[in-house]
Amino acid sequence: MAALWKLPCIFICENNRYGMGTSVERAAASTDYYKRGDFIPGLRVDGMDVLCVREATKFAAAHCRAGKGPILMELQTYRYHGHSMSDPGVSYRTREEIQEVRSKSDPIMLLKDRMVNSNLASVEELKEIDVEVRKEIEDAAQFATADPEPPLEELGYHIYSNEPPFEVRGANQWIKFKSIS
Amino acid sequence: MAAVAASAGHLWRLRAARAEGHWRRLCGAGLRGFLQPASAGGDAATRRQVAHFTFQPDPEPQEYGQTQKMNLFQAITSALDNSLAKDPTAVIFGEDVAFGGVFRCTVGLRDKYGKDRVFNTPLCEQGIVGFGIGIAVTGATAIAEIQFADYIYPAFDQIVNEAAKYRYRSGDLFNCGSLTIRSPWGCVGHGALYHSQSPEAFFAHCPGIKVVVPRSPFQAKGLLLSCIEDKNPCIFFEPKILYRAAVEQVPVEPYNIPLSQAEVIQEGSDVTLVAWGTQVHVIREVASMAQEKLGVSCEVIDLRTILPWDVDTVCKSVIKTGRLLISHEAPLTGGFASEISSTVQEECFLNLEAPISRVCGYDTPFPHIFEPFYIPDKWKCYDALRKMINY
Repeated sequence: MAALWKLPCIFICENNRYGMGTSVERAAASTDYYKRGDFIPGLRVDGMDVLCVREATKFAAAHCRAGKGPILMELQTYRYHGHSMSDPGVSYRTREEIQEVRSKSDPIMLLKDRMVNSNLASVEELKEIDVEVRKEIEDAAQFATADPEPPLEELGYHIYSNEPPFEVRGANQWIKFKSIS
Repeated sequence: MAAVAASAGHLWRLRAARAEGHWRRLCGAGLRGFLQPASAGGDAATRRQVAHFTFQPDPEPQEYGQTQKMNLFQAITSALDNSLAKDPTAVIFGEDVAFGGVFRCTVGLRDKYGKDRVFNTPLCEQGIVGFGIGIAVTGATAIAEIQFADYIYPAFDQIVNEAAKYRYRSGDLFNCGSLTIRSPWGCVGHGALYHSQSPEAFFAHCPGIKVVVPRSPFQAKGLLLSCIEDKNPCIFFEPKILYRAAVEQVPVEPYNIPLSQAEVIQEGSDVTLVAWGTQVHVIREVASMAQEKLGVSCEVIDLRTILPWDVDTVCKSVIKTGRLLISHEAPLTGGFASEISSTVQEECFLNLEAPISRVCGYDTPFPHIFEPFYIPDKWKCYDALRKMINY
């Protein structure tokens, strides 16, 4: 429909090479996802290189703004950890593979090297940013663990936009929640 | 408005004798036969007798200004016209809506409002609803048409997993409340498997959307306008057999009929009959049959909104009468009557004089040639009612 009506729409596919535990080679007959738009043009972008992503997005945005219709961007990236808490992340791939990506194509590392080598920033400045970021994450984690859980009444909120509040039936006929929105 | 399959001619004549009808044969154009005008040599009866019911118009409404004689699809066109006029962000889209729609519900709207407000979509229900959700999120009023309710299933994921949960999952930061999906619904005499379904039960199971079914042109216009203005995604099912069969005086100006309110069409003291859409006319007839033949006074309720449904009106009625009969065309198992039945027995257990009766379609896919035997017609309802009275 986007192509039919020439809608200015960028479709983005973050390809981290694994769908939960299934690698893309085992999941799709064609792993050229950027070509899967068929009549919609596609770009394959190295998602681990920040500058590459920026330039590709500029191109895609210009394409859409020029009225040429939709475009597809496949960003090739990687997932270091498992898919969820219950997935160790190593039962379908080797630890060596994860370490290789982390050491050779880590986005932050690549950008850091580039900036230091072109004298755009010094190692100390970047270390400062590191420290700041770590603190921000510590604070966020602290907030998340310390923040109280929402009250049970909020279970029924915002199902509908309604006034006055109405009653939502619960697990048996004597449990009712108020729905406010 | 009913088609006669030549091979079942003798069966139809039997039913015709009972229903005092005059059968019209549509010339093999299938569903498009709807659009063929009534032939000049047709019946001269003032009221069309159709397959299994007789449409009973409500008296002319006085409180909404000037009225005009309209049938159901004209009432829908009028409602859409009012919407597009009042709301500059309103758009109508769906398969074939540009030329007027396969049931003529959108005739004249593209000429009047332009091609970027009334436009066709490709044959992709998932896309129609997905696109509608997107437009609604940006703030426009989206009125999507699904050509037949039977085709709504590819859009089921979009409706249930996206539209219904949009507000809830974002904690009211975002919503697609200005989406309304309209779709022709219900049996039509010759629809068979894929042009006769009533899927309201599937959607009744999904908190976050509203499901509405009108019984007449006057109700349809008011309820459709309410759905469009309601700040929640709504599904509006239009009984297709009533598109031309139901003619009433309908106000020209816009008006609203509140959602989630059932209407007690006829008061009674012995049995409560609940239905929605076309079936309301069937149970009205059953009510008059019961009065005549059994001296039983029936309370007839049109549920109007399936989700969220008006529990209070139905329960109040059952407390008064002690007996409940629910009827719908959809299959019995898991049909919406089971939800009503379950809730009513929870709330009014000690008031019940007889088990709650459900007169519904059989648990089969909607048949073609067996349709007259499948649908819960007035005789089946009357029979169930009699058994309830004599329990």
